[in-house]
Amino acid sequence: MKRKGLGFYFRIYCKILAQDLKSKMSYRADFIISTIGMIFTNISGFISFWILFRSFPSINGWSYYEMLFLYGFSLVSLTPVQCFFDNNWSLRQYVYSGDFIKYCFRPINLFFYYQSEVFDIKGLGQLAFGIGTLAYSWAKIGLAFTPLMLLKMIVFLITASLIMIALQNAAAATCFWIQNSFYVLDLAFRFKDYAKYPITIFSPVFRFIFTFVMPIAFIAYYPSLVILRPDEVPLLSWLSPVFGVVFFLISYRIWMYGATKYSGTGS
Amino acid sequence: MKLKKYLTLTRAGIIESLQFRLATVVMVIGNILYLIVVYFLWKAIYASSGTDIVNGMTFSDTLIYLVLATALFNFMEMYTVWEIGRSIQSGKIVLDLLKPIEYRRYLFWSYSGSFITQFFFTFLPTFIIVAAVTHGAIHLGLNLLFFVISVVMAVSINYSIDFLVGTICLYTESIWGINIMKQVIVLLLSGATIPIAFFPEPLKTIVYYLPFQSIYNAPLSILLDGTPQPQTVLVTLGTQLLWCIVMMILSRLFWKISLRQITVNGG
Repeated sequence: MKRKGLGFYFRIYCKILAQDLKSKMSYRADFIISTIGMIFTNISGFISFWILFRSFPSINGWSYYEMLFLYGFSLVSLTPVQCFFDNNWSLRQYVYSGDFIKYCFRPINLFFYYQSEVFDIKGLGQLAFGIGTLAYSWAKIGLAFTPLMLLKMIVFLITASLIMIALQNAAAATCFWIQNSFYVLDLAFRFKDYAKYPITIFSPVFRFIFTFVMPIAFIAYYPSLVILRPDEVPLLSWLSPVFGVVFFLISYRIWMYGATKYSGTGS
Repeated sequence: MKLKKYLTLTRAGIIESLQFRLATVVMVIGNILYLIVVYFLWKAIYASSGTDIVNGMTFSDTLIYLVLATALFNFMEMYTVWEIGRSIQSGKIVLDLLKPIEYRRYLFWSYSGSFITQFFFTFLPTFIIVAAVTHGAIHLGLNLLFFVISVVMAVSINYSIDFLVGTICLYTESIWGINIMKQVIVLLLSGATIPIAFFPEPLKTIVYYLPFQSIYNAPLSILLDGTPQPQTVLVTLGTQLLWCIVMMILSRLFWKISLRQITVNGG
């Protein structure tokens, strides 16, 4: 099979996206309610954050606005996984029912085709919320705003997103081996709630675990240090783009390995 | 004779829930992870506050509260909204409505088996560990009895709210959005994620007038109160009883009215 170029995949993605949006629009009430639900989630997350930290000038050497910055950073970096990889949640049903076999017969990349089938617009509300939070805390901390900073910000946001995408891919792929993978996926999804706290609050043992075993700290903490504390950026922060790409590739391999082993249900 | 049909449902529920052992293991890992994060987060908060008692709660009070709130959550979360929503979408609800048992009761009792397994496998061990580790921070006396009464009413209120929200699915046929809204509101306003004692003033008063705080805050504050005043206990339990009755009537009434609206696609 001839390898297809990026342009080809981009054109295909747009076509599938248009189909997906059309089918979503036919369930308009559901779409509106889900969007409101997503907004509720973000507002309640923000209220919880405000209740916890409003009365303390700083937690563990982190000021209120720095914590807010971390929170906003995690919201924005979680948007791609929500928007582009939401179909991972349905994977176990496709595998279980045998419908997954239909993806195996397309002459394009299996992983790409599967993920492109669903685009979750709800994630865009979270993106707007996250950008708002970031901009607000950015101004309050008094960080400089230069093109270089913006570039750094974008690079490290993508890095952080890749980590979460990798975690979710790997968790979703477990359904190729175990029956009820919902709990594994749910566990990985809950990691995002812990990403918004600075890792320095943990004891050294857990700092190590959350950095190397379950890389939660890479979803917001390490990447955002580059912007937040430019004078004392640890090596791990600079390395995080590499980690992001590596993690993503590993998760992609696991996912594809599971998919190629998939033998259908026989129906 | 009447009780026997309910207990049969309970038994089936116990057997069903024992099937998913892997799910339980993953859930326990998830909860431990959550508690680790909570522990270090609140430790940092107490360290930065400079005092031992914040909003009338010591660090160990807060920790016991949050640990037991998590255990209670596992125990009480019945996924009623999902259950009703899915039955409506698949048409299974028609078969359930034909059963010679009221739907609201049928759903509750078919879940009750999980109450028993959850109680013995998660809540009780958690409670014993917490009581042992904190060396008498939990006063073991009459408050245990009040706690049990309070939890029973909390289960009832929680179920009524769930059922009420699940009924909305009859109109919208949207499950995810409705469920996430309910979950977010209940978890925040019931004090399951942050003790209500930490809420700022106007919000705190408002929350005390809502039914949600009767689900988590009421039983846990009764349990943690070492020297209970008869008056406070009576007010707390009385409020719960009131909400118990109000929510039950509301959810029954709403279900009865809504049932006339039902449209089922096949089945």
